[in-house]
Amino acid sequence: MTFSGVEGLAPFEAVCAEPLALPRRMAAGGRRVAGHMCTYTPEELLHAAGMAPVRLLGWTDTTHRADGLIQAYACSLARAVLDLALSGQLDFLDTMVFSHTCDTIQNLADIWKLNLPGMDVITLSTPVDVGSPHAVRFYRSELARARRQLETRVGPISDGAIVDAIDLYSTHRAEMRRLYAMRREHPGLIGASAVQTVALASFVMPRDEHLELLRQLVGELSRVKSNGPASSVPRVFVAGAACQQPDLLEVIEEAECVVVGDDLCTGERGFSVERVDAGDPLESLARMYLGRRPCASKHLAGHNYAKWLLNTSRDSGADGVVLLFTKFCDPWAFEYPGLRAEFDAAGVPLLLLEVEQHMPPTAQFETRVAAFAEIVGAARKERQG
Amino acid sequence: MSVDRVPIATTNKMMRLMMEYYLGAKAAEGTSQKIAWVTSGAPVELLYAAGIIPIYPENHAALCGAQKMAVELCEAAEERGFSRDVCSYARTDFGAIYTGKSPVQGLPKPDLLVCCNNICGTVTKWYQNLQRHFGVPLLYIDTPFVHDSATPAMLEYVRAQMEDTLRALETFTGKTITAEKLRETLELAAEATRLWDETLDLLAHKPSPMTSFDTFVHIAPIVVMRGTDKCVDYYQALLAEMKQRVEKGIAAVPGEQYRLGWDNLPVWFKMAGLSKRFAGHKACLVAATYASAWALPIDAAAPDPLAECARAYLTVYINCGLEERIRTLERMIEKYSLDGMVMHSDRSCKAYSLGQYELSRQLREKLNVPVLILEADMNDSRVYAEEQVNTRIDAFMEMLAARKAGCRP
Repeated sequence: MTFSGVEGLAPFEAVCAEPLALPRRMAAGGRRVAGHMCTYTPEELLHAAGMAPVRLLGWTDTTHRADGLIQAYACSLARAVLDLALSGQLDFLDTMVFSHTCDTIQNLADIWKLNLPGMDVITLSTPVDVGSPHAVRFYRSELARARRQLETRVGPISDGAIVDAIDLYSTHRAEMRRLYAMRREHPGLIGASAVQTVALASFVMPRDEHLELLRQLVGELSRVKSNGPASSVPRVFVAGAACQQPDLLEVIEEAECVVVGDDLCTGERGFSVERVDAGDPLESLARMYLGRRPCASKHLAGHNYAKWLLNTSRDSGADGVVLLFTKFCDPWAFEYPGLRAEFDAAGVPLLLLEVEQHMPPTAQFETRVAAFAEIVGAARKERQG
Repeated sequence: MSVDRVPIATTNKMMRLMMEYYLGAKAAEGTSQKIAWVTSGAPVELLYAAGIIPIYPENHAALCGAQKMAVELCEAAEERGFSRDVCSYARTDFGAIYTGKSPVQGLPKPDLLVCCNNICGTVTKWYQNLQRHFGVPLLYIDTPFVHDSATPAMLEYVRAQMEDTLRALETFTGKTITAEKLRETLELAAEATRLWDETLDLLAHKPSPMTSFDTFVHIAPIVVMRGTDKCVDYYQALLAEMKQRVEKGIAAVPGEQYRLGWDNLPVWFKMAGLSKRFAGHKACLVAATYASAWALPIDAAAPDPLAECARAYLTVYINCGLEERIRTLERMIEKYSLDGMVMHSDRSCKAYSLGQYELSRQLREKLNVPVLILEADMNDSRVYAEEQVNTRIDAFMEMLAARKAGCRP
């Protein structure tokens, strides 16, 4: 299912065409820009410090500079973003924030600190055990530490400014969730690659500007009278770490599948942070981020991801799941054996597709998606009797 | 003076001790004796204090690696969907679970799992998979990564979890762990640790009485039996033998001319080959970040022993940032008079390996210490390029020889 003809998409597409142009312009205009690589990064705090948070992805087609500093068995996201920095293309960054994600990102933070002396580096040892009864208290102290480090650079950050930022970001995430709900409830109304482009644009745009455009888009879509695709068109759910390339999702759509939901950190998982008002704004942030949909790099006692994914994809009306697996991503690699056992037992198609974050889809990727489309198509037909 | 290597007599004692440990645990399977599977960086003292037998899948995997059984087991795990790019210890152990193959008749099934992420994020995922497989409780201890320094909040966070773990163990066994019992166990652990540390110190002697390859073998009891008197006994014996070797001038590498350090896990399936290769160049590996990792300084007499545990387990080498690692390496180079450093870039261990290129750059540029980086894996021999490794070792040793010749005209 390819999708086109929505006017409200154009500004997002323009931003994504050259993702670093906008933050570079903001920096040139005197705005402090803070980079990060993980959706656990409390952007509200950076926004409250008067900075423009930018989520970095590997916008480069080479990693040869990074190869001298980090082994080839680090994931492509780490290698490509490091390469981007070493190439000088991120020189406009005032600050770089690393929220603890995985073994690779944790060591990348130190490599970064020692090799890119031009920017302030903030490391947040975000709890891994997000459900620990002690995690909120500890994470709050990490946030307080980050706030103090930011304050040495920008001066005092008021509680009021953090509350305002929580307000803006929560409103924005709720609007993104509205867009995802529309995709789920009206399959085919908006394509997955288009939704992904909207999400990617939010990583580099000022959040209030993005919110404004997003509202217009949601308004436009709610006026569209769509009957949706034929009921024989298979519905697919996409899971994995990040998805830098909307093109990957386009391949799925071009194979005559419609994406009805995702669990990607560049997608629904990344926007799953929900507003909490705990009185103290740092505690609010701690509760918000620890309570979100967990990433595979986290531990949450009692959480069975395979069962969760099976149920969530079913609830979204999906006939099968595509796992976009970033090569060398350990947290997701370790999910796969459990997923395969669960999905095989349930008789639900699951396709593992290995990707390099910074590379466009390969011919092999397209072939495998096409074969999978036939399998989910058959599964759908069987279900429909 | 003889040029033959004098074998370490205590090795036999160690083999017996480990075999007794594994068979004893296996015999306890299915009885009322509780068994826990634990990560190598977990506070095992708490388990011994609770009367639970700890079992170390990592140690078992290393054993499989050394016995050259790992590839077959990895393949069995890969058939079930484990990527070839994840930790080969994890693959080895899952393969052993699926096939029942093992050099020690297989590990006894766990009643409990205890995971501490101070060694890597991989164990988090590994133990989640174990929990799904065995359906037993999982106790998790989250030790935040220490990029700069351990903050009071980090220490408090870890201490609180240690306390929770202790309480959970009591509930699990139905028995109270008295403060006295905990202290007694910590004292035994501290004593064994002190003996191990003192043994490692002896490698600073020229010529060194044992090599790091030997320490990788003799490390097993300190990893799995910390907190028992058997462990203390063993290290008393090892220390006594090493002191004797120093007194008698017995060199681990007869005619020792070069002293090298080692970073990262051993290459278990190539221990003998690598040891011989370096010895052939009269090079002795005398210091290893891996061997020192279990020299945990815990003051059992401190007023709050759990706080001591929290600090020790939070700040292990591999849970600290690169700047701290550089300081550790610097101290090691000084203390052991190292001529060079060998860094095993272990494909299986991102936590340990990523950052080594930066460490090696700093060692070369700031300390003028040559570094050899070997791309390998601790258990998966399929990614090991033997000839390439040997050629690189030979070239490195030639370079060190030229340097030495240059220094002493």
